[in-house]
Amino acid sequence: MMNKSKRPVSPISIIIYIVLLLLVAVYLTPLLWMVNVSLKTNAEVFSSPFGMPEVLQLGNYIFAWTKGYLGRAMFNSLIVCVIALIVSMFLGSMASFAIARMKWKLSGLAMTYFMIGMMVPVHCVLIPLFVRFSNLGLTNSLAGLILPYITFSLPMTIFLMVGFFKGMPREMFEAACIDGCNIYQCYFRIAIPLSKTGMSVAALMTFVGNWNELLLAMVFISDTTKKTLPVTLTYFVGPYSTNYVQMFAAVIIAIAPTILVYCMFSNQIVDGLTAGAVKG
Amino acid sequence: MEKILKDKKAIVIFIAPAFILFTFVLFIPIIQVFYYSLCDYNALTKPEFVGLKNYINLFTDDETMRTALKNSLFFMIFSAVSQQITGLLLAVLLTNIKHGRNFFKNIYYLPCVLSSAALGLLWAFMFNPKMGINQMLAYFGIEGPMWLSSTKGFIVLPMWVIACVALWQYVGTTMMLYIAQISGISKELYEASYIDGASKAQTFRYLTLPLVKPMMTISLSLNCIGSLKFFDLVYNMTQGGPNHSTDVLATHLYMQGFQYFKYGYASSISVVLLILCLIVSFLINKFIKAETYES
Repeated sequence: MMNKSKRPVSPISIIIYIVLLLLVAVYLTPLLWMVNVSLKTNAEVFSSPFGMPEVLQLGNYIFAWTKGYLGRAMFNSLIVCVIALIVSMFLGSMASFAIARMKWKLSGLAMTYFMIGMMVPVHCVLIPLFVRFSNLGLTNSLAGLILPYITFSLPMTIFLMVGFFKGMPREMFEAACIDGCNIYQCYFRIAIPLSKTGMSVAALMTFVGNWNELLLAMVFISDTTKKTLPVTLTYFVGPYSTNYVQMFAAVIIAIAPTILVYCMFSNQIVDGLTAGAVKG
Repeated sequence: MEKILKDKKAIVIFIAPAFILFTFVLFIPIIQVFYYSLCDYNALTKPEFVGLKNYINLFTDDETMRTALKNSLFFMIFSAVSQQITGLLLAVLLTNIKHGRNFFKNIYYLPCVLSSAALGLLWAFMFNPKMGINQMLAYFGIEGPMWLSSTKGFIVLPMWVIACVALWQYVGTTMMLYIAQISGISKELYEASYIDGASKAQTFRYLTLPLVKPMMTISLSLNCIGSLKFFDLVYNMTQGGPNHSTDVLATHLYMQGFQYFKYGYASSISVVLLILCLIVSFLINKFIKAETYES
């Protein structure tokens, strides 16, 4: 018994670590395999699936970049997502401030109204939205993508930010008011600067969601030069689908920025998500 | 103070932009989709009211719709059960280990931030009959099945494969939500339970489980609605094929609406999807809330 209690690790925790490490393998193997394939020739993928590439086929990447219009697509995605992010964060946090901190009879109703958006999938409004936007000449333009992206990001942002603003101590706003702040200053000088954690979580979810959105972008944009990144990748489903080496080169180019950003900030992202900002 | 917070003009300024955008881009289209679903309407003609004709066709005449409905419901139940169990389990394991917690969290959460369109292509390769996993199996002398083109059984094999890929990709979100909830539980409660001689299993059953229940409402609704509207992975892995056997509601809607341009018909699929989502979120809220009060 003495021995057992002195031992630094118990057998159960060894098993737990083995399970967790196996899972890590399940998560990383497909991604590494993809990198491996993208550097081979098509013949090599068949003949030696597990070997290292004999010569690094960087040409695959060049082909994917030029033929897949990936540069253009990445630029489009970036424009759409950054604008949608900034506007939706701004509008969402304003609405949340009014719902969470200001006193009016309909605030509960307004919250319920925005929460409809959490329950309704984008797909349900795809057809009316498409008809309306093509009448307005907004299809096939990035603006036509930005507007729905902002709107569909609002419910999540409002949900998170209302929770966050409600958690702020009342005294802070009282003190500010006594010092002569008006309501706009309360919002810009107190609420916003103090809600960095909540804002960053909401921003992350908005950005990731819009960056990866496929269906809306696929339906709304038909012009090659205006397509976003996920849509561009679907090209490789059809005509190039036997051409795995170039397809994977394209996939890697497409997900590399996300992985880079994630690696740089993963601890902050993960901590932010678990910091209690996501609490319901 | 009170007067400042009741400032009507400021409230309008704060809420109006979001409200207007939300109403025009989401709320009015929801109402429109109900109207369109009652119309004979395609890309070339004006909507013409035909009553419930679309719905009657949808439920009596459309084999694909039946498959899609079956697949979507299967997908929802499978995702909800598997993600809740795995997510909660991972969250409990990760909050209990001493070393490398962040490392594991970061790895498991990684696919959630990646594009499912991209990952769909990756998994289409992995489950290709001659490549990926089957190459690995062939190495051990096993002939792998036709992962993405088998059509046998009530729920076809490709659906199981896609559901497992979705579990792989999205379980990180559920795990994160539970980790957030578990780290919010006061340490003193755990200390008290150890002093009282509770085992780890008992602590989990009588302490952790009841206290994470509020999160269950949120993560379960996100799971269910997310899987009902599922599109990206299916589209990039099988495109609904072979012979529509892996169609889900969203792919069927896309095909009818934007390949065949049957707007009215596709709208009625939207309405079915919408109503399913509302029923599911209503049930989850009612069911889980009731249980929280009990404990």
